[in-house]
Amino acid sequence: MSTRPVGQVFDIGYQRYEGPRGGRAQARTAIFVDGVKAALGIGRGGRAKILPWLFLVAAIIPALVMAFVAGLMDRSGVDVDLPTHSQYYGIAVFILFLFAATAGPELLCPDRRSSVINLYLIRPLTTEDYVGARWLAFLVVMLFATWLPQLVLLTGLVLGAPEPGVYLQENWLDIPKFLGAGFAMALFLTTLGLMVAGFTTRGGYAAAFLIGLLVITTAVVGPIASEPGIDLEVRKFVGLFAIADIPLQLNNIIFAEPGGADILISNATREYSNLILVSWYVLWTAGPGLVLLWRYRRLSA
Amino acid sequence: MVTQSDELITARALTRHYGNVVALDSADFTIGPGITGLLGENGAGKSTAIKIFLGLLEPTSGRAEVLGSDPRRDVEIRGRLGYSPEHDCLPPGVSGADFLTHMAQVSGLPANHARSRAADTLRHVGLFEERYRPIKEYSTGMKQRIKLAQCLAHDPLLILLDEPTAGLDPGGREEMLDLVRKTYAEFGISILLSSHLMNDVERTADSIIVLSEGRVVEEGRVSSFTTETESIFVEVDENQQEFVAALSSKGIASTTEGPTVVIRDVADDGYDMIRDALAESGAPVRRFGPRRHSLREVFTDDEQAEAPEPAADVEQAR
Repeated sequence: MSTRPVGQVFDIGYQRYEGPRGGRAQARTAIFVDGVKAALGIGRGGRAKILPWLFLVAAIIPALVMAFVAGLMDRSGVDVDLPTHSQYYGIAVFILFLFAATAGPELLCPDRRSSVINLYLIRPLTTEDYVGARWLAFLVVMLFATWLPQLVLLTGLVLGAPEPGVYLQENWLDIPKFLGAGFAMALFLTTLGLMVAGFTTRGGYAAAFLIGLLVITTAVVGPIASEPGIDLEVRKFVGLFAIADIPLQLNNIIFAEPGGADILISNATREYSNLILVSWYVLWTAGPGLVLLWRYRRLSA
Repeated sequence: MVTQSDELITARALTRHYGNVVALDSADFTIGPGITGLLGENGAGKSTAIKIFLGLLEPTSGRAEVLGSDPRRDVEIRGRLGYSPEHDCLPPGVSGADFLTHMAQVSGLPANHARSRAADTLRHVGLFEERYRPIKEYSTGMKQRIKLAQCLAHDPLLILLDEPTAGLDPGGREEMLDLVRKTYAEFGISILLSSHLMNDVERTADSIIVLSEGRVVEEGRVSSFTTETESIFVEVDENQQEFVAALSSKGIASTTEGPTVVIRDVADDGYDMIRDALAESGAPVRRFGPRRHSLREVFTDDEQAEAPEPAADVEQAR
């Protein structure tokens, strides 16, 4: 009779770690990856996924509709000017704002609310590393949110065209243009969204503030900017404060459409030179970035 | 620069001001391998010292070196340090296993190593079975243990524990102190234990540094403070009252401290009389020997020493 081998369990106890240590680079990567997951609700409960994915899908829907209608018109031979890549961000800007307002705070607020930030900042990581990794993570997520619908639209337009090859040959320049305009939109919303999130431990407050800023500036600037009875210079200046227009002005500059793509709250502001509009954009992007950095340097001191 | 030298932490004329408030005042001390207790009242400068050692604060003047480096300049050195803060610092919605894996990665470990280290460390602190539960479902004791685990997961050379028994019941406190002791005794990880509870420090630490108003007022081996007294202690499992009565009938005065009976100024024939009293009372002896001074008696006057120590911490972070 043969005896069956009997398994044994050994308690090898605590072992010292002799493997590789990635140091600061590894720490930054870990914070970055966790930031991407936090923004999209990955690895969190079901409720954390609802809002980001709802707004991501909502951002794609206009692109799908635009591609579908363009294909239909092409096939029916009707010659009309349909909205395309240059107009997409004008249509989707409110959805992208909502996405940034709800997803952005998830990268910063919970760490401060639960004080996990105290554990991060004593690891091989500086304050700048932490903020930079979180910022980069959200930028990547925002690029995904801004580029994906444009790629969907491009795919729809190419497939819907009677001769896809010819369409691509004639319109290939749209690709770098929407990538550039999408980058400008993502950079603006990433930095502004995270700066607001840096001042509260409650994500809801940060989202409400950002959405309020969008709604109030649109509601106040819109009627003034479109009132022909008001002096043009006043309308131009007031239009600068329509928060949604700031990245859209860059969109218009990049696509270089005469008179803009008619996607602005304040078309009068388009009268400013490109230099002024780009400088205004840089101010609204670099400013919040520096404020965010200053805020976290103070927190860690 | 990571060193295995005898000096894990060096403070030289370490001073830190918050405006007009002097939190640390020319503090000079070194911390070597083993468990070192950093003892002091609220505002003594313990938390400030720890923050400087972790590189979170710049000293106003003086110098701090941790593992041979300036922690403010050499960020990489923090990969060999662990820190458990006094207050809550845990993400409620994340499981213990995910939290520890992530923290090990942030400390520099690659993802696959971090995952296995997290499992090993959770086993060490007794949370292996609970590793997939969200931290918000953990008890206070479990939260303290996972705080300890997060500073062990990346296998540091030195860990800094700020009031590790805060908020624990007596049973949980004993378990935590045993875990702290085991962390050095079995794994060789040195510990700086900051506490305002002398019993905690006395139970666990090999060395002690006492801070008061930012200055070092005492420093040395715990055993050098807790010298033997003229008294003896007898710890009995039951029949304590009968034993005390038997001693009294023989003219021997005694006091009780929990399960322990303390007999002061034992005469030459006292040991025989104690033996007889034990036999008469039928009290089973657990431990018996010369009584040592407690740190409490050394650092406080007699009146204060009589008062029981608070079970929970009262110190607030600066």
